[in-house]
Amino acid sequence: MRGVLDLCVLGALARGESYGYEIAQRLEAGGLGSIAGGTLYPALLRLERLGLVVTDWRAGEGGPARKYYRLSPEGTATLKAAAADWAVFVGNVNAMMEVP
Amino acid sequence: MSRTLTVAEMALREISRRRGVLILLALLPLAFYYSRRGEAYWQSVRFVSLGIGWTLSTAALFAGSAARAVEPRLRLSGYATHQLYLGRLAALWTVGLALIVPYFLLIRFDLDNVRHGPVALILLLTVAVAAPFGLALSALLPRELEGMLVLLTVVAMQMLLNPDKAVAHALPFWFTREIGVYAIEHDAGTDHVLRGLIHASITLTLFLTLVAVSSSLRLRRRPHISVA
Amino acid sequence: MTVDDWLAAFAAELRRRRVEPAGLVAEAAAHLRDSGRAPLQVFGPPTAYAVSLVDSLRGATTELRRPPSGEPRLAAVRIVKRYGRSTVLDGVDLSVHAGEVVAIIGANGSGKSTMLRICAGLLTPDSGHVRIRGTIGYCPQEGGTADFLTPDEHYVLIGAGRGEPREQARERGRTAAATLDWPRSSGSPVARHLSGGTRQKLNLVLAGLGDPDVLLLDEPYQGFDNGSYLDFWQQVWRWRDAGKAVVVVTHRLAELDRADAVLDLTPRSPR
Repeated sequence: MRGVLDLCVLGALARGESYGYEIAQRLEAGGLGSIAGGTLYPALLRLERLGLVVTDWRAGEGGPARKYYRLSPEGTATLKAAAADWAVFVGNVNAMMEVP
Repeated sequence: MSRTLTVAEMALREISRRRGVLILLALLPLAFYYSRRGEAYWQSVRFVSLGIGWTLSTAALFAGSAARAVEPRLRLSGYATHQLYLGRLAALWTVGLALIVPYFLLIRFDLDNVRHGPVALILLLTVAVAAPFGLALSALLPRELEGMLVLLTVVAMQMLLNPDKAVAHALPFWFTREIGVYAIEHDAGTDHVLRGLIHASITLTLFLTLVAVSSSLRLRRRPHISVA
Repeated sequence: MTVDDWLAAFAAELRRRRVEPAGLVAEAAAHLRDSGRAPLQVFGPPTAYAVSLVDSLRGATTELRRPPSGEPRLAAVRIVKRYGRSTVLDGVDLSVHAGEVVAIIGANGSGKSTMLRICAGLLTPDSGHVRIRGTIGYCPQEGGTADFLTPDEHYVLIGAGRGEPREQARERGRTAAATLDWPRSSGSPVARHLSGGTRQKLNLVLAGLGDPDVLLLDEPYQGFDNGSYLDFWQQVWRWRDAGKAVVVVTHRLAELDRADAVLDLTPRSPR
């Protein structure tokens, strides 16, 4: 699940940069169920460490500063490759599961 | 050179913190000196030098044993084996030299009818031989206890054996008695000094070789390792 | 647990693991504000969450990690060692690359320390050879320190072997000791007056002085309290992340999932 979660986070960011809570909401809206903060932030840190996302802190209007995440070029490339692999994988699984 | 000096410096720091050893070094030769000071005062010179030889050898024995725990790590850190034992010897010789100064002065002012030049020579040679003797014992014997027993035996033999016997010549500090003859007896010839010097040189060379060879063996670069 | 209590405990655990807490705490606080739910629900216990974040920061996970590449820094091939009639090591192989941690495990008497000493070059095996690329640091299970020298004097002595000037050697030693939670005490006691655990920390620091490429650690955590034990493994991972090859002899199996590879010396058949 961990590996899949990382890729889904990359996918969520493909729609534009975001911050922690909002990423969790995007994932939930995308049908992945509610992702606990305790699971999400370690994933984000991993991706940052591996250079697949870059971050910066933005001061909120009248609110506290937030850490924003966006895809790095490597992140975009990894996502594209993973998406392609995943599509092939899903296609094969579907073919396997067809009742003749 | 600076590595050897660093080893010597740290060895000196270690010895200076071992208060028991320092007290022994300072006072035991004094006890030996005064044990003969009454009737047979001329034996005081020989006894005090035996006392110095014994305590310095003991200090060297303990210094050598303590060093064993650290020496493999020092080798891995880049020290050459000879820097380790030469540095330790230098520290022990320094301690010995500091020790014999007050004792020489004591003899100088306490005993009038002895030749003080040869006395100084005896003390210097004792220090020279005692340090490598103790280190060699620590290298050859696994534990301090065995080394101490050997030292006890040697000192006892030095005192008890008739120096004219052949076997007495094999004792490491035989030269103190030999040169002592010239120091104490007015009509003795300088051949005693010569014989003493030769004996001391042989003993010194023997112990230095033992220290060098055993250290080099123990800390050698093993053949099964290749380092790139 | 109130939000403030949770955040305080979270920050304390991060600091405990030598991670600057400010950004992580701010992010968690913002998330809690946005979601409006209890911190235990969202993140779980603060210490466990801190641990998983630190793991992610330090890269202790096995997914997405680059496999070791290139020539190993330590390669031991077919090591055999006999003591009298019993064969302690029977053709053991070990290879460790830069940036790798290998744990050596096995029952008492299975030859773990012997293997490490052979790799360090302190013991000759009956057959087999060891190739090392770079310099070696070795931490024995006990010993390795001088009773009558202070820690500073140890740093100078070891540093001089590598040609380091005194002040630099002292600085490096003190910095390394601080990462192991060196107790702040007045004055500089000689090694024999240090507690067992502290003396072993000195031993560990000395093994790492001079930045060796290969570190051979023989269960050096004897006498460590729990916190120091964790600090020890943090140091091992810091060394790993710095590109060193680290070998740790251990019998505490809970850490095995943190190592990159495990060498099990337990004999398969009775000798």
